[in-house]
Amino acid sequence: MRVGVFICHCGNNIAGTVDVQKVAEEMRKIPGVAYSTTYVYTCSEPGQNEIIEAIKKYKLDRVVVAACSPRMHELTFRKAVEKASLNRYFLEMANIREHISWVGDDKELNTQKAIDVVRMAVAKVMNNKPLFSSSFKLTKRVLVIGGGVAGMQAALDCADGGLDVVLVEKSPSIGGMMARLDKTFPTIDCSICILGPKMVDVAQNERIKLYAYSEIEDVKGYIGNYEVTIRKKATYVDWNKCTGCGLCMEKCPSKNAYDYFNFGIAPTRAINIPFPQAIPKKAKIDPNYCRYFLKGKCGVCAKICPTKAIDYDMKDELVKEDVGAIIVATGYSLMGVENFPEYGGGKYKDVITGIQYERILNASGPTGGHIKRPSDGKEPETVVFISCCGSRDKSVGIPYCSNFCCMYIAKQAILTKDHLPKSQSYVFYMDIRAPGKGYDEFTRRAQEEYGVRYIRGRVSKIYPRGEKLIVRGADTLLGIQVEVEADLVVLANAVISNPDAAKLAEKLRISYDTFGFYVESHPKLRPVETNTSGVFLAGACQGPKDIPASVSQGSAAASKVLALFSKDVLESDPQVSYVNPNVCVGCMKCVKTCPFGAIKEEELRDGRKVAKVIETVCAGCGICTSTCPCGAIQLQHFTDNQILAEVYAFASGK
Amino acid sequence: MVELKEKISEVFRDTNLVICWREGFDPIHATPHFVREESQIEDSIFNLFCVHNLCVYLPFLKEKAGILVKGCDSRTLIQFLQEGLIRREDVVIIGISCRGIIDVGKLMREVLYEAVTGVSIDGDSIKVKTVSREREFQLTSLLADKCKICRYPNPLIYDHLIGEPVESKVSWDMAYEDIREFEKKPLEDRLSFWTKEIGKCIRCYACRNACPLCICRDRCIAETRDPHFTSQSVELKEKFMFHFIHAVHLAGRCVECGECERACPVGIPVKMMKKKINLEMKELFDYETGINVDDKPPMYTFKAEEEKIKEHEL
Repeated sequence: MRVGVFICHCGNNIAGTVDVQKVAEEMRKIPGVAYSTTYVYTCSEPGQNEIIEAIKKYKLDRVVVAACSPRMHELTFRKAVEKASLNRYFLEMANIREHISWVGDDKELNTQKAIDVVRMAVAKVMNNKPLFSSSFKLTKRVLVIGGGVAGMQAALDCADGGLDVVLVEKSPSIGGMMARLDKTFPTIDCSICILGPKMVDVAQNERIKLYAYSEIEDVKGYIGNYEVTIRKKATYVDWNKCTGCGLCMEKCPSKNAYDYFNFGIAPTRAINIPFPQAIPKKAKIDPNYCRYFLKGKCGVCAKICPTKAIDYDMKDELVKEDVGAIIVATGYSLMGVENFPEYGGGKYKDVITGIQYERILNASGPTGGHIKRPSDGKEPETVVFISCCGSRDKSVGIPYCSNFCCMYIAKQAILTKDHLPKSQSYVFYMDIRAPGKGYDEFTRRAQEEYGVRYIRGRVSKIYPRGEKLIVRGADTLLGIQVEVEADLVVLANAVISNPDAAKLAEKLRISYDTFGFYVESHPKLRPVETNTSGVFLAGACQGPKDIPASVSQGSAAASKVLALFSKDVLESDPQVSYVNPNVCVGCMKCVKTCPFGAIKEEELRDGRKVAKVIETVCAGCGICTSTCPCGAIQLQHFTDNQILAEVYAFASGK
Repeated sequence: MVELKEKISEVFRDTNLVICWREGFDPIHATPHFVREESQIEDSIFNLFCVHNLCVYLPFLKEKAGILVKGCDSRTLIQFLQEGLIRREDVVIIGISCRGIIDVGKLMREVLYEAVTGVSIDGDSIKVKTVSREREFQLTSLLADKCKICRYPNPLIYDHLIGEPVESKVSWDMAYEDIREFEKKPLEDRLSFWTKEIGKCIRCYACRNACPLCICRDRCIAETRDPHFTSQSVELKEKFMFHFIHAVHLAGRCVECGECERACPVGIPVKMMKKKINLEMKELFDYETGINVDDKPPMYTFKAEEEKIKEHEL
């Protein structure tokens, strides 16, 4: 065996805190290592060429590259060794950058650790086997989860590219958060006026199959061949018959239903259409409030409905769709007002959240677009906005910035002045974050043209005095305590992930961070990909995002899917499990533990039953290999012997 | 005894094979007995020396069989059924309510390893005749340790039942008190205990061979060198490795029949490790092996969310 070892300096990234020459020298002492060298940037073209040349010159049959994380450049070097006619799995990478040079600054210790890590990689590569991928066909349909602006954009772009799209929306209408907004910053154009046409496009596009009021029940399969089970939740209204006339909503006697669309700022009816521009514009019964469901009698809607669409016996329905790729655009949630007791949230009716105020400003909202405060319906004279409610607050477990609150506060303050010219708005802020195109000018305009008074400081307490709310806080620029007598207080509440974000991630087998936001494959270079190939991200499910960013990501994810589907066959990853039938004792523990259903029972000709891996379904997670008592099932490229070789190399110190 | 033989012949007519016990080379040693002919029924016995867990044969039997099980052994059958290692329709179970069996090792030590020529049992006492003398013992003093903390003296699964039900007053906590006591010792003491005990191991694999749930047989990872987890060497670390593998392979599977410990020729308390893991399984997964056929062994399922392991909580 002739192993070549290539140690990368990565400029100063590695060489700065690791003695790369010494590592290379130590490797030369290992029996089987025929060549060991260092190079300043191994991933560069000359660096790769050096590997290719060395393979030919020194007749190398195995290659170890000690450089950055395999996530960065494993593919680069696999292709390089392939150019020199080696099987790509005869390459092994040792991560001496992220795991060593970047995390420690003691050069001597780093060098020793690098020697250990590279020696382990040499031990592994000597045990590597050539692997070959096979190819499989793919279903050129895409599933988009979430019908907000990001999901709609992705669905429209995919449909424009000639793909059939399955769009699944959790709530009764598409439109998402943007459909709830009144105006959008920094142009103050009407949100629904620009979103409405897109919603209509989605509804009218023949390539888009819309499942509204539906959720993802189960996802089986792998890139190119997913089988998705969708739960169509019972609406108790036959949508084939419902014309969206709204008569039922008018006559419904249950008038105190929670209005999810309006974030509970005013009640709605138990049977309702969320908003006038809803798509599909169909009614839905909320059984938590409907008298028929609670008391067993009423039936007003059933009597009044001109098309007899009401069906109280409707059940959830499960449908299956085959798709080849998935775009996740599930958006975000917001912290409820009750999470801010120090501001009287949930206690004082006139302390509301930004999105609730958005509904008050909106012409289709509960007040018809007239600013009236919830407690007594009076027009407020003084409105106080408080930024960073929950956001950037480690004490509530949200260290991150919610991204767009600074901008919508400025917008809402401007709109308040437009609606009520005599009003005065105050904004308590920590910093003004307005880095987008035209954003800073916008916040300036709020202050300079609209006279919004920005006070840099936090609010400590809000308490009522008569009909007013006293907002007490600090002005840290003046170094004084301030008190504002407010009629209405608007909290810029933190953006949080959806409560069921983790559950969906488990179904899709994508990763999520501690806050429940989905994790992209690379924060800079692969922003819409996930680590699960075939699953892409768009919009705020990945982190708080404003409309332009969400739309860009929707388009980006669509382009990724279109690129993927431009191929007719995909190559399978050979790093999957394999059962040695001669060793398998047929206990079938692996069959029961496989999370992907990728292992089945097979009867051999002698009647012996053994396990067999379905290669295309196997995701290479390795659970089976750790449950197999006799080591019959092995994850290719990560076999027990390969890992043991690394352990022995490390533990023996030679 | 008449009842036993009647039951065996009844089952034998249906299965043509009944696995039971007969007397071995002396009165204090029973031995497994495969009844394949009617004439062999006569030799079958059940007494205080029928220690073996006969279930060990079942997963590899390619025919329908009748089998005799004590309460403890019956848990093995349930575990087999949970894991799909046998089919219920392939086995006819004759359950025996059991008052405990005798630890032959203890008895042999008492009679100074003299050859035993006769045994008679009268109520709670046992008379043992050896070549040189006769002695009488209280049964309780010779009972196997596992029987003293037995919670399941009556078979949990059976088609035919022999004997009056026996009551057990042992609780879960009493059964695992030894483990909890041992765990209170400092780490160094526990390490030196195991170093001494495991050091005695001669790697004869008797514990593994006696274990009804060790189903790898010829493919056992302790003997194969591919994958190369253990080597042939007699070093302490290799011995530890073998015992760890054995214990971990039985996680959530061991029914504590104690056959491993009984089979060990050098007296290593190997069951302790398995009991410790069973304790963990109970605390972590609220699972006890071999109790209900419909239970799902936690190590035989995949769950993204475990009730008591909160790794996915936000």
